[in-house]
Amino acid sequence: MQERIRQLEEHARQIRIDIVTMIHKAGDGHPGASLSAADLVTALYFDVMNMDPNAPKKADRDRFILSKGHACPCLYAALARRGYFSPDKLPSLRSLESHLQGHPDMNKTPGIDSTSGSLGNGVSIGLGMVLAGRLTGHDYFTYVITGDGEIEEGIVWEAAMAACKYKAGRLIVLVDNNGIQSGGPVQEVSGLYPILPKWEAFGWHCQEIDGHDFGQILAAIEKAKACTDRPSVIVAHTIKGKGVPFMEGDNSWHKRVPTAQEYQQAMSILGGACS
Amino acid sequence: MTVMGNTRIAFIETITELVQQDSKAVLVCADSVLVVKGKDFARKYPDRFIDVGIAEQNAVACAAGLASCGLIPFVATYAGFITMRACEQVRTFAAYPNLNVKLVGANGGISAGEREGVTHQFFEDLGIVRTIPGITVVVPADEGQVRCAARAIYSVEGPAYLRIGSGRDPIVDSEHVPFELGKIRILAQHGKDVTLFTNGFVINRVLRAAEILSKEGIRATVADVHTLKPLDRDGIASLLAQTGAAVTIEDHNVIGGLGSAIAELSVEECPVPIKRVGLQDVYPRSGKPEALLDYYHIGLTDIVAAAKSSLKRKNL
Repeated sequence: MQERIRQLEEHARQIRIDIVTMIHKAGDGHPGASLSAADLVTALYFDVMNMDPNAPKKADRDRFILSKGHACPCLYAALARRGYFSPDKLPSLRSLESHLQGHPDMNKTPGIDSTSGSLGNGVSIGLGMVLAGRLTGHDYFTYVITGDGEIEEGIVWEAAMAACKYKAGRLIVLVDNNGIQSGGPVQEVSGLYPILPKWEAFGWHCQEIDGHDFGQILAAIEKAKACTDRPSVIVAHTIKGKGVPFMEGDNSWHKRVPTAQEYQQAMSILGGACS
Repeated sequence: MTVMGNTRIAFIETITELVQQDSKAVLVCADSVLVVKGKDFARKYPDRFIDVGIAEQNAVACAAGLASCGLIPFVATYAGFITMRACEQVRTFAAYPNLNVKLVGANGGISAGEREGVTHQFFEDLGIVRTIPGITVVVPADEGQVRCAARAIYSVEGPAYLRIGSGRDPIVDSEHVPFELGKIRILAQHGKDVTLFTNGFVINRVLRAAEILSKEGIRATVADVHTLKPLDRDGIASLLAQTGAAVTIEDHNVIGGLGSAIAELSVEECPVPIKRVGLQDVYPRSGKPEALLDYYHIGLTDIVAAAKSSLKRKNL
């Protein structure tokens, strides 16, 4: 287990290097949200999910939806490092000819199971995928990462109700609870808190973890997979900008591009080479 | 005497046949099973029936998830709840990824919404979906055409919107012209003075108006533009060129629907005088269907007057 976790930490470090590099080179993007989700995405792509980079459309693959689509630099880095496309493509993020759109596009980027970006839709789409699995005889799991601010959207709770009705045990939602949304701290912007009792009230199997602790992430996903009669949510406490100390908890990094100096600083912290 | 049909039953019977023939069709409802007369379907094919409750956004996004895994979902509920409440899910998660999501909107038009009032009368649906790239938009004339249209959109890859009515939907008189997706149907040819472009549940009115015009010496051609998108550009341009004047008649706001589509095409391909008969950018009200159409200037006299007006400008 320790070696497994050490490897995941190393992958996550590379993902973070890629995120900061990509956003610096592209001159655009959301570093804070990408970095907070990095460990969750790493765990899914480098340990949990059944998938094949050589057969990205394989019918029985596990599905993944980055419902908080603005964190896509994280997803693009994971896909590239897992072999879906060359990491050389990462700096093309958001440029005209690139297959790496500003938000995930299932028809432009290999390995992306669902278009996303407008917030709140991932749980519904994930439910559709789980129901499709039943009808087509495939027993894959569907993982959805949402933001915390994102679940203020009403459709999330529409989906939460329906997923419970359909006993969608193969739907696993991870809430990247970094506590800060675009306009400021979640508790100041909205009436969302407390999060977990809401999902409990909707009949979901609920867990709460440290979203930067791979041991906890893997254990929670195992438990979620074992719960077959209802959908699962894992509320993962995370830090916006995690891994780059001068970005951590500072919401100016919600959408901000590191300067050359900040980029160098981030690379020296993460142990990456400036490219 | 107009014979009434039921486009809702026509839809549910068609999807039932599709489910029997093919393992990919799924019906997705938002507590709309009664709207689409789907109780028997739900009982016979429980695994092909998904009801997410009164939650249209969820219904459409869930259908996108189903379609992304190879199924062909039909989301069926009231037209406005699909095209307005779930508009973004239609655009971003069904149409943009070109997924095989079929949307079936009931109560299309003020006459189909009839006594319910504005909340359930949908006269913007076509304008909304028509601006979304990549979506097929079909407005069948009656129950028989709904059967053809539902099969046609099922067999075409990609997102589609199908308008159906209240369940008391006039059957088009002397209906013999076959349906072909993307092609206009010529329903009457009195002559080439003016073309009456129409679609949906007002076609009988247009056919009668054409007869009245004929008696007055104005010879009209009546064309059913059931596929609003992709538009039969050649067929329409040809009629515009042949007749040199046109009227559009639709149960929809005159902005955004058939009138707009024909006018846009005409401006680019064959400019001719056009009058648009339809809801004149106002909110309607409750009432019986035929009375409502008359009240909101989609009556026989309105169509006749519009044809004369268009013709007069042509002859200036």
